[in-house]
Amino acid sequence: MKKNLAPIARLFWNALGIAILVFLFGASYRVTQIDFPRLVRDAYKARDFVMAFLSPDVVTRDVETTVIEMNFPVPCGSAPEAEMPDSGPRLVTNVPCAEARQTFILEGFDLLPNSEVNVSWLLPTGGTLRIGRVTTDEDGHFLIEVEVRPITAAQDGVPSRITAETLVPVGPLKPSQALLDVMREMFVTIFMALLSTTIATIIAAPLSFLAASNITKRGVLGTAVYYIARSFFNFIRSFEPLVMASVFAFWLGYGPFAGSLALTVVTTASLGKLFSEAVESIDSGPIEAIQATGANRLQTVLYAVVPQIVPDFISFIVYHWDINVRISTIIGFVGGGGIGYYLNEQINSMVGYHRAGTAIWAIIIVVWALDFLSAEVRKRLT
Amino acid sequence: MLRIENLTKIYPNGTRALHDVSFEVQDGEFLVVIGLSGSGKSTLLRCINRLIEPTSGKIFWDDIDITAASPAELRHIRRHIGMVFQQFNLVKRSSVMTNVLSGRLGYANPWLSLLGIWPAADKEMALKALERVGIADKAQSRADALSGGQQQRVGIARALMQDPKIILADEPVASLDPVLSHSILQYLEQLNKDGLTVICSLHFLDLVHRYATRVIALKDGVKVFEGLPKEIDRAKFKEIYGEEAQEVRAASFEAEA
Ligand SMILES: Nc1ncnc2c1ncn2[C@@H]1O[C@H](COP(=O)(O)OP(=O)(O)OP(=O)(O)O)[C@@H](O)[C@H]1O
Ligand SMILES: [Mg+2]
Repeated sequence: MKKNLAPIARLFWNALGIAILVFLFGASYRVTQIDFPRLVRDAYKARDFVMAFLSPDVVTRDVETTVIEMNFPVPCGSAPEAEMPDSGPRLVTNVPCAEARQTFILEGFDLLPNSEVNVSWLLPTGGTLRIGRVTTDEDGHFLIEVEVRPITAAQDGVPSRITAETLVPVGPLKPSQALLDVMREMFVTIFMALLSTTIATIIAAPLSFLAASNITKRGVLGTAVYYIARSFFNFIRSFEPLVMASVFAFWLGYGPFAGSLALTVVTTASLGKLFSEAVESIDSGPIEAIQATGANRLQTVLYAVVPQIVPDFISFIVYHWDINVRISTIIGFVGGGGIGYYLNEQINSMVGYHRAGTAIWAIIIVVWALDFLSAEVRKRLT
Repeated sequence: MLRIENLTKIYPNGTRALHDVSFEVQDGEFLVVIGLSGSGKSTLLRCINRLIEPTSGKIFWDDIDITAASPAELRHIRRHIGMVFQQFNLVKRSSVMTNVLSGRLGYANPWLSLLGIWPAADKEMALKALERVGIADKAQSRADALSGGQQQRVGIARALMQDPKIILADEPVASLDPVLSHSILQYLEQLNKDGLTVICSLHFLDLVHRYATRVIALKDGVKVFEGLPKEIDRAKFKEIYGEEAQEVRAASFEAEA
C-alpha cells in the first residue's frame, strides 16, 4: 500500500513545487516590468551616451585665429570698393558692392583646409554681426550666401568690413579640462580608498587579535574580550556601504569625508573578520616554542604570530584598497565625493556625456591597474 | 633535581592524558620517555614547563614549585628550560638568526626586543650556538629554506640561547631519517655530557638503548615502567606497547640487539 502511494505523493509534491516556482517566476517577471522589445526600441536613447563614451573628452589644443578682411560698401558708391587679390588667403564676392536686402555670394580661397571659419560683419560703429560658421574643404575653400542687412550700411564713407576668422588648433595636444578634472577626482577617490583602508587597518589589526580564539580565548577575561571583539565586528559588518554612505552624507554633507568614513566602517568590519581568521589559522607550533623560551605575551605575538600573518594581512589590505576604489566610485553616486560624484554630475547635466565618458574610461583603467597591482603584490607574497 | 608528584592531566574534552604520574629526574640525566602514540608523552613534557596546565599534581624543580609559579615567575623558570620539538616549530618566514635570537627573548629587554633590536652580545651568542650545531653559514637564510635536519639544529641552537639547565625534547627526531636522527641526538648527548639534564621522548628502541641513561614508559597516561634501558626486556616491551604492536616493534628490537 505504502509503496504504491509513495510515487503518487512524490508526484504531487513535485507538481506543487513546480507550480510554486512558476508562480514566483511569473510574479517576479511582472514586478520587474520586463519589456524586451524596449531594449531595441529605445536603443537610440543609449546611442548618444555610447558615442560620447567612445569619444571621451581627453585632449585639447590651443586655438590660434587668423583673420582676413575685406571692405564691402553698402549701398554701392558709399565708399571705395575693395580690391580683390588673386592669390593668398582671400575673400571674394560675386559683386563688388550691394544694396540692402540684396543677396550675394561670399567665397574664401586658399584658407587652411578643413578648418572652422567664423564669418561676420564688422560694422563701422565697431559692432559685429554674425554671418555664419563654415568649414573649409580640403582646398581651403568655402562658399556662403550672404543677405545684406540695412545695418551694414556705410557711415561717413567708412564701409562695413567682412571678416573671416580661421580657428587653427596649434601647439601640442594638451589634457583637456575634463581630463584634468577627472584625474583630480580620481585621485580623490584613490586617496579616499587608501585613507579609509589605512584607518580601517589601524583599527582592525589590533582588534583582530582580540577576536582570534587562539590568541585571546583564555580564562574568563580573555573569553569575554574575545566575544566582545567578535560581536563588535559582527555588528559593524551588518552595515551596507551604500547605507553607511547615505547616513554619513546626511550627517556631514556630501563630500569625500562622508564617503571615506562610510568606507572606513565597512572596511574595518571586513578586514577585522579576514584578519582574525588569518590569525586563527596560523601554525601554533612557533607560538608554543616562543612561549617555552620565557617570552611574554607581546613578544610571543610579535615573534611567533606576526611573521606568519604579515603576507596574509598585506594581501588583504591591498585587495581591500582595490575593492574600495570601486566601492567609493559607487558611494560617490550617493554623495560620497570623488570620481563617482563627478560622473553622476556629468550624466545628469545632459551636456556632460563626453566628460562622463572620460570618467568611465578613467575608472576602467584605474580599476584594471589596481586589480593587476593587487594580484601582482599577492603573487609576490608567498 | 626535578620531582614530578601525582601529575594528572584531564583535557577539557574529558581525555585523561596523564594519570597520577610521579618520578624524579636527577641533574645530568638523559631521561627518555617512551610509550605508544597517544600515551601522554607530549602532555607530560609540556606540563613540565606548563605549556599545558596540569589538572592536579605538583612539579618541583629543586625547591621551586613550578605548578604554583605566577605568570612572571613562570617566565623566569621557562628561561632555563629549553625545548625542542618534533615539528621543529621554527618561525618559517623569519631568518635562522631571528629564530635563534628568539630563544633569548626571556632575557632580552622587552621593548628593544619588540623593535627587533638585539645587543651585540646576543648576536654573537647566536652565531656561537649556530656554530655549535654546525650551520653558522645559514644564519641569514630563511628558516623554511633549510632541510629538516638543519631546521632541528636551529631548534637546538634556539634552546641553547636560553642558557638552559634542562632540555625538553618531544620526539626531536621523529620527522628525520635514521642517519640524521643520530646526528641530532648526538648534539643532545653532548649537551648532556656538558651537564644539562635532558628529558626526551623517543619512538625507536634502538635510539633509547643508545642514548638513554634512564627510561620511563607511559601507557594510557599511566607510568608503567621506570628503570634502566637494558631492563626493557621482551616482557616489559609487551607490557608497554601492547600485544598488537609487539611483533613489529620486537622485530626491530631484535634486529637491533
Ligand atoms: N588539546 C587536546 N585536547 C584533548 N585531548 C588531547 C589534546 N592533546 C592531546 N590529547 C589527547 O591526550 C592523549 C595524550 O596525547 P599526547 O599528545 O600527550 O600523546 P603522545 O604520547 O605525545 O602521542 P604521540 O606519540 O602521537 O605524540 C591522547 O589521547 C590525545 O588524543
Ligand atoms: Mg606527542
